[in-house]
This record gives sequence, structure tokens and C-alpha cells, in this order.
Amino acid sequence: MSLKNCHNFQDFRSLAKRKLPSPIFHYIDGAADDEITYNRNTSAFNDVDLVPNVLRGVESVDLSTTIFGKKLDLPFYCSPTALQRLFHYDGERAVGKAAQKFNTMFGVSALATVSVEEISSLIDTPKMFQFYFHKDRGLNDSCLERAKAAKFDVMALTVDTITGGNRERDLRTGFTSPPKLTLASLFSFATKPMWGINYLTKGKFELPHLQDYVEEGTSTNTSIGNYFSTMLDQTMNWNDAEKLCSQWGGHFALKGIMSVEDAKRAVDIGCTGIMVSNHGGRQLDGSRSPFDQLAEIVDAVGDKLDVICEGGFQRGTHMLKALSLGAKACAGGRLYLYALAAAGQAGVERALGQYKSELERDMKLMGCTKISDLSRKNLRFR
Amino acid sequence: MNLNDCLNFNDFRKLAKKKLPAPIFHYIDGGSDDERTLNRNTEAFDDCDLVPKILANVGKPDLSTTVFGRKISMPIFLSPAAMQRLYHPEGDKASARAAEKFNTFYSMSTMSNNSIEQIANLSSGPKLFQLYIHKDQSITDDLIDRCKRANFDGLCLTVDTIVAGNRERDHRTGFTTPPKLTLKSLFSFAIKPKWVFDYLTNEKFELSNVKNKTDKGTNITKSVIEYINEQYDPGMNWSDAEYVVKRWDKPFAIKGVMSVEDAKRAVDIGCTAIMISNHGGRQLDGSRSPFDQIKLISDAVGDKVDIILDGGVRRGTHVLKAIAAGAKACSFGKAFLFSLSAGGQKGVEKLLQNMHDEIQRNMILMGCKNLKDLNYSRLIFRR
Repeated sequence: MSLKNCHNFQDFRSLAKRKLPSPIFHYIDGAADDEITYNRNTSAFNDVDLVPNVLRGVESVDLSTTIFGKKLDLPFYCSPTALQRLFHYDGERAVGKAAQKFNTMFGVSALATVSVEEISSLIDTPKMFQFYFHKDRGLNDSCLERAKAAKFDVMALTVDTITGGNRERDLRTGFTSPPKLTLASLFSFATKPMWGINYLTKGKFELPHLQDYVEEGTSTNTSIGNYFSTMLDQTMNWNDAEKLCSQWGGHFALKGIMSVEDAKRAVDIGCTGIMVSNHGGRQLDGSRSPFDQLAEIVDAVGDKLDVICEGGFQRGTHMLKALSLGAKACAGGRLYLYALAAAGQAGVERALGQYKSELERDMKLMGCTKISDLSRKNLRFR
Repeated sequence: MNLNDCLNFNDFRKLAKKKLPAPIFHYIDGGSDDERTLNRNTEAFDDCDLVPKILANVGKPDLSTTVFGRKISMPIFLSPAAMQRLYHPEGDKASARAAEKFNTFYSMSTMSNNSIEQIANLSSGPKLFQLYIHKDQSITDDLIDRCKRANFDGLCLTVDTIVAGNRERDHRTGFTTPPKLTLKSLFSFAIKPKWVFDYLTNEKFELSNVKNKTDKGTNITKSVIEYINEQYDPGMNWSDAEYVVKRWDKPFAIKGVMSVEDAKRAVDIGCTAIMISNHGGRQLDGSRSPFDQIKLISDAVGDKVDIILDGGVRRGTHVLKAIAAGAKACSFGKAFLFSLSAGGQKGVEKLLQNMHDEIQRNMILMGCKNLKDLNYSRLIFRR
């Protein structure tokens, strides 16, 4: 199996599985507890059917959308995800360049393995910095200032990782970052020698946004759950978010909003967007899927800020459904991470290109030529 | 396994699978993307139950219905399907003869391997022609006029293939038409020598209706997908459809209507029928199934046009449910293509006989004398 055989999400996933040591594959692929929420994030789309309109004259389709004051050529973007150089040695560089090619937003994680400064010098398309609220206020200020200096367009504060989710696959495989060889993981690393060679020879693995502040940014092997649980400030509240919002002074979003009440408060503290997200099912298992919750939130605040639906997308039709309910854009992590692991920048470009052509095709079949043609009239719930 | 063992859809499907090279089997069997809609088309029938009336003294029920101005003996007919010559050397000729025998509609695709005139000469049974609007209007006009001269009863305009669906099985098997031998597909053709022999020793593969108009009709190996993307007009709109209705001026359907709004517009432009269809789940995956949508549409326009349900029909009871929900008749593609692949004309006849017997038996069990006795009160939905 090679990249040219990858026709969809599942194909990229299979190829990634073949290329990655299993602890790393399962870090991407896994979720919290019984992974009920993770699975629901995608299966939720099956509870609603698209109802097309015909004979609409649909020669050309405009997929562009505007979020956070930036026009994107596509109605979906790459969510910020941590540790990308573990998945492919080019990491964020590959994803950023691919996103630039399609003129869509690239989200950079606080736990990125390439610095905001370097990303900013590489790409000039819209960029989002994803921020974790650390106990160490100096670290927080540093992140904010660096992202500002690097001219990032949007700051997204993640609010659903106040403690680490119970990712049982990581417990079983012994996943840590940087990867540590344990008896349990030795075999899985030994069977993927190319990954090992690239990891050891293509530049040192580091977390540039944290490294001056904490040992977790350096070579100490830690689990992500441990990072969330020990470094993030669990006292974080609405006042902290409001302060950050005004400290940033630009487009500001909360990532991980699921209730209407919280969505309204996000408006009150000055957010210009929210990501309806459960962190890809990786935090609170049994919690609601973004798509199931989307309509309520759009109804409540859709006219006041940009509502972005994040999680579960594997197809262009899934995105059409979320956009029809009123999301301004869709976002996902696994959406491009398997492709990154499968083939670096070329893989991400192929994946983004496939979603784009799926969306173009599906828009035509729906009888729509622009995103604003989509509405709830196109949908029927079962 | 042979034709006599084919009692139902799955049997025909199995036999077809044994006879056809894999790329061709999967071209029939597959849908788009994750095949959710393909599966839902049939599953949707399971969400409601039939409620029989007992002691109704039905005798031998009357299964006849009238569509496209023609009385047919049973409420199911053959959907238009492209390139039937791929499935059996007799192709459309076999389907047309079988349909005539059961006095139901045979439908010819624009992309048929036989010409309008050929089929008109060999069958006087009910005939429907399926039209695609081409970028080159003279092709469209020519097809309409020829159908009129050949005395086809009805015309349907397919509107749900404005762009080709994402049929991933075809990507994987390397399906093209005419079939092309690739390293990947070589093996699947080599293990079906009978198919290859029949294919090579019978009439040449061509798109007979459009062969003089485009080089795609000849021997050049092009996939159907490419043909659709090159020749079909994505700018097609309601005034184009209205033009066709007027030029044809006989019973006319739009095939691929799924929304109530579109159904109403179809009435406005003079259609006498609509075919509720998502192209057998081969186009927009995640879109609604015909049976899930039929009630809404029949409530809106059922008294003004004939409603035909196309998609997912595998059983006589599926037909009964569709009729009870407002359909005048159903049509099926996959089922009959498998039967054609399995046994040519005999295969299609066997399928139609099975369906006839199932519908008849089930009408008796339901206590219905004729199709009018089936209405919405005879269905109970589970949710």
C-alpha cells in the first residue's frame, strides 16, 4: 500500500498504522475510556440525511468561508495538534506548508515541535495558536507574546484539558513524549526501523514553546496525561479566560465549548469564535458529540461569533452536514494526522485535496454553489 | 449454483459475482464513499411494518398499475442502466425481451450498448428512455427525436449525475469502460474466461446511441466517470428540463428528485411523473433514501404526478411498502443487473417471475385486491 492507493480517511489510517511504531499510532488513534464519544463523533453524522436540490446550474463551486476575519479557500482547517514531529520528521512544517497550499488555517499547538517563529517564516497564510493555561504565568506570557510577535491571526484557548483524559491505549502501549523504550514498546519500535532512523537523524525532538520553562519541554519522558495533570492550572476560570482574551487583543476563541450556557459566556467575555469540540473524544468519554450539539449552539450564539465544529469529520459529506446546521467552518486533527504520518507534506496535501474535491462534488450534487447556499432545509433527521 | 437456485436478490448477486470479473461486479455492487446511502436505501424499508387485513376474500389480486400512460402488469420495472453488454453478451436485448414478456417497462440508458432503433424493433413492450443532457445540445435533441420516432412510451431526465459520484471500489479495481486490462485487473479477468470469451466473440462494445456524436462512444478506453464529467452539462437547470419536456411532449419524468421543493417544480414544468431516487446510492453518500422521503413528497404532489420509487427494492414487500406510502410503481437497477449477469434474458425473467410471485403472495397475505387497497394506514412505523 502506498500514498496513491489512499482514497479516503480509512486508507490514510491504514497506511499510518503501517508506518508508525504502535505506541505512537495508538496515541493518535485512541481516545478516552471506552472510546464511545470518539466513535459517536463520526457516527452522529449518520443520523441525518442530506436532501439535494436538482437542476440548479452548478458549474463552479465556491468553497470559501470567512472566520476570524480571514477568508479561507476551504470551509475546513487543520486543528492544532501536539507533537507532530513524532508522526513525521517534518511535523508542523509539513502540515503548515500543505495548509498554505490550500489557503486554509493552520492551527499550531502549544505542544508543537516546531516554533511559532519558524512556522511564521515558512507560511504567510492564516495561523492559529492553541494555548494551554499553565500554572507558570511566565510561560503563559511568553507563549502569548511569541505568538503575537510571530503575527498569528487567532489565539485559541483550550478549555477541555483541565486534567488528562484516561487514554487507556497509551497506558497499555507505554506512550510517552519523547518516546521512551520500554520492554513493552521495544518490539513495536524495532519493527518500524524507518521511523526510528528518521526520528534519530532528522533533528532533535523538542517542544520549543515550553523548553525554556520546564523540564517537560526537554528530554524528560512524560506522558501527555501527566503534562495536563501537573503543568496546567486547574483553577482556570472565566476571569482568567477574559484576561487572556484582552491581553491577546486580537481574534480569540475558546476550544472545547459544549454547552449553550458556556457558548453565551464566551460571547460575553469577548471571544470572536468557539470550537464546539470534545477534544476528539480524548477527554470525557460519554460526553456529547460536537455535531449532536451544534444546532443548539448555533441557534444561541451563531450570529455573535464564529461557531466551528471540530471532531469526527472523515468525509466531505460530514462537513456539508455541519455547515448546513450553521457551522462557519469544520476542523479536525485526525483529519490530517494519519496522512502526515503516512507521507509527510505530500500525504497532507493529498488528504486536503481529497476533502476539497469531495466537497466540490458533494456541493454540486446538493445543487449548491457556495457555502451560504447550505441550510437546514437540506437536512432531514431520521 | 445455477439460475434455478436463485430465489432472491442475494442469490442472483452471488451468481453474478461468480460469473463476472471483479471490476465489473463491483461496478454494479458498489456505491459512493462509505456506501451509507446505498445500504440505507434497503434498510429504510425495515423501519416500518406491514399490517395485514384478514378474511378479506381477495381471490387473485390485480397487480396492474399505469405509469407513463401505459398499463403494466406489475408495479415494478427495470431502471435504466448503462452498458448492459458488460454484464451479458445480449445486454439490453435480453432485458428488453424479458420485460416485454412480463408486460412491464424496460428502460434504456443514453449509455446503452444498443441503439434506440434496435430495441424498438425487437420489443413492442413498454419502453422508457433515460436521457442525460449533454453539453452539445444536438446530441440531446437527436436522442429525443429518435425516441419519438421509435415510439418509446416515456422519457426520464436524470438529474442526479451532474458530476460523477466517488465510487471507491472502481478506484481500487481500476474499472473502465470498455474494460481495460491492467496489471491489477488482469487476474480478475483471467479467472472468468467464459465472460472474456463471450465479450470478445459477440458484438463490439459501443455506446450505440451516441457513437456518431462523440469519440467516447467508440473504442477509446475511457471510464464512464470521465464520460460523465466531460459530456454531461453541470450547468443544467430547470429551463433546460422544461425545454426537454416540451420537445418530447409525451409522458415525462425527472429521475433523481429528492426534495419536496423540487417535486413541486417538476409538476410546474409539466412532468407527468417523478422518480424519487439517489441513483442507487452511487452519487451523494449521506443523502436521504427514497423510502425515507416518499411520504413527504407524495403528500405534496401525489395527486398531481405519478411517483416512482427507485432504489433499495429487493423484495415484494418492499414494493408493497412503497406503494402504501404513495408510489405508483417501483423500479430497480442492481437487482435486475445481477439477474442479467447471472443468466441473460432467462435470468431477468426469473427475477421478474420471483418478484411477481412475491408481490402476488404478499398482496393476498395483506388482504388487498388491488394496489389501491394499499395505503398509508397499512404501515406502522417503528419510531
